[in-house]
Amino acid sequence: MERIRFLLSRDDWYHQRGYWVVAKALSEAGVEVILGGIQTPREIVQTALHEDVDVIGYRLMDASPQVVIGILFQEMRQAGLEGVPVVVGGIIPEKDETLIREMGVKDVFRPFDPLDSIKERVLAVARAARA
Amino acid sequence: MVFKPEVIEQLERARSRYEEEVERILSGLPGPRTGHVTFSGKPVKPLYTPADIGDLDFFKDLSFPGSYPFTRGAFPAGYLTRGLHIRQVTGYGTAEETNARWKFLLSKGANALSVVPDDGSGCRADSDDDRVRGLVGAGGVALDTLYDYETLFEGIDMTRYPVHMITLSAYALACYLVLAQDRGIDLKALRGSMSNGIRPHPECLDILEFCAKEAPLFNAGYLDMRNVREGGCTAAQEIAFGVACAMAGTDALIERGLGVDDFLHRITWFVNAGPELFEEVAKFRAMRKVWARVFGERYGARDPGSLMCRMHCQIYAPTLTMQQPFNNLVRGAIYALGAVMGGVQSLHVNSFDEALALPTEFSASLSVRTQQIIDLETGITRVIDPLGGSYYVEWLTRELEVEAISIIDRIQEMGGAFKAWNWMCSEIRDAAIRNQSEFDSGRRKLVGVNVLVEENDIQTRALRVLQKHADFEALYEYSPELADKQVARLSKVRSERDPDRVEVARRHLIEAMKAGRNMIPPLVEAVRHGLTRGEFARVKAEVYDEPGGGPYVCDPPAVLA
Repeated sequence: MERIRFLLSRDDWYHQRGYWVVAKALSEAGVEVILGGIQTPREIVQTALHEDVDVIGYRLMDASPQVVIGILFQEMRQAGLEGVPVVVGGIIPEKDETLIREMGVKDVFRPFDPLDSIKERVLAVARAARA
Repeated sequence: MVFKPEVIEQLERARSRYEEEVERILSGLPGPRTGHVTFSGKPVKPLYTPADIGDLDFFKDLSFPGSYPFTRGAFPAGYLTRGLHIRQVTGYGTAEETNARWKFLLSKGANALSVVPDDGSGCRADSDDDRVRGLVGAGGVALDTLYDYETLFEGIDMTRYPVHMITLSAYALACYLVLAQDRGIDLKALRGSMSNGIRPHPECLDILEFCAKEAPLFNAGYLDMRNVREGGCTAAQEIAFGVACAMAGTDALIERGLGVDDFLHRITWFVNAGPELFEEVAKFRAMRKVWARVFGERYGARDPGSLMCRMHCQIYAPTLTMQQPFNNLVRGAIYALGAVMGGVQSLHVNSFDEALALPTEFSASLSVRTQQIIDLETGITRVIDPLGGSYYVEWLTRELEVEAISIIDRIQEMGGAFKAWNWMCSEIRDAAIRNQSEFDSGRRKLVGVNVLVEENDIQTRALRVLQKHADFEALYEYSPELADKQVARLSKVRSERDPDRVEVARRHLIEAMKAGRNMIPPLVEAVRHGLTRGEFARVKAEVYDEPGGGPYVCDPPAVLA
């Protein structure tokens, strides 16, 4: 199987620990990690198109998940990227988790989810999308 | 010499007998019981004695609080002169909501204030900008114009409560200066502080330079090592990276013609206090000593204010768990003890709901009470440097000092902190991954996460019950209507200001920035006429060729090497 291309972006500058730790862990698992840095949904879609990614990962800390994920899916539809799965990690209130899963987010990662489990779940999402 | 050589010698002999005895006792018991490695990766022994600190010189290494090298405290009488500043980070919704929260915290006995704007994305676009949808008033308070700052400070006595603004932006300083002027406060007497992290950017240096000359009591420079520590680095790196950044900023300001004692006393620290209590106490002591030594010995600073390192502390958050959330109250109290016994000036205790949402009145008031209990009930703040003289803490202090100095020397060999930026970042990330893998493997314990795990734990259930039935807000929920409210506030300013005056002021600002003159005076004028933070960000983008309308620290898209 060809290497999975995973775009990882985040919403704020101060908190970066999870972003880098997950990036490194996925990279070690053979995933090609494209670091988006701090990006708005529109910028994510532009990078996703340009880099032809298999999965989009959005780390949320400050932003309202229900609002930005809603915008992200809207932008993805406009760009014809509906088929690209989205996963989210960070501080995600329970109510938002329910809402964003309903919108189509494939998985939600939380602090202290073991890195091995994050790797497996990302790979599973990528494989399901390719199948 | 604290101990006589013959005492140390006698001790060494007795200690080997003691260690054999301990080994004999432990060898009969299952599992490894020694070999603890501190949170920052330092192997420690089960016992420390005077032999571990035999060469410590009281006057050279410790001395009295308020005296060089300040190991035992910045001020001679510690908390006896001025109590701990209880300062909780506040910021959500519009300036109205945040002003109300400030007043609530003051009513509970907080005695210092802090505000976090909603521009943590680095993007200082206005609240009606498409790029910040979902961010407005979410991770902080929306502060687009001077009008928002006026509302934020409504009923708040700026001369009574020290206010900290968590932002790198000169825009916030300009608004603060206008408020002070309007209230008749002489800038020479104006206090306060902001998170102007020392970095190689004209905005940062303009703020430092302007305040050194015009607002000399305002703490204009900031070493944000707290977030760097959360990013993963060790206690020694927290000290070393902060000192190295201050050295780089000092070099840049000396180049602008200032003397080291003109500004150094207005650079303060933002520090962390985590789970390894004694290591944290030692870190604060070592931090003060390294600061005094570096700036005294290498830069010739003479003003005691320049040599005393002062700190605001916010406790470590990555170990605050969403599982069994009330355990975080206990963690918060223990981490806060490290900060108070380490002699920090100001403290924020994270709320128990840290891993779930922004704090509510309920959770924030518990953070205030935690500090008040430490201050009023335990006696800890009545004795200065209460752990000074502990063989273990003195040994750890020395260890961290030596390690930090060696890291600083390494950074200096690379050409200073501004040139070693990428190296520091990669060190921080490597340390974060090591730390995370310790938790994943269970080598480092975290209750509720990798040990003592409970399915459907009772504390989470208790919180859900509160959420459902309490007559107060038990867990914060962001309401997107707050963004609409802010956009309306912004529209009001846009419609009421004189566009020609804004434009003239904006042009003056651009001219000054392009000519390399200090941006603060023309920015103050522009802010008065209604220039918004987003418009200021566009000015910066134009002058400094910054991408995306203003973020300075943005990692551009890249493939991870």
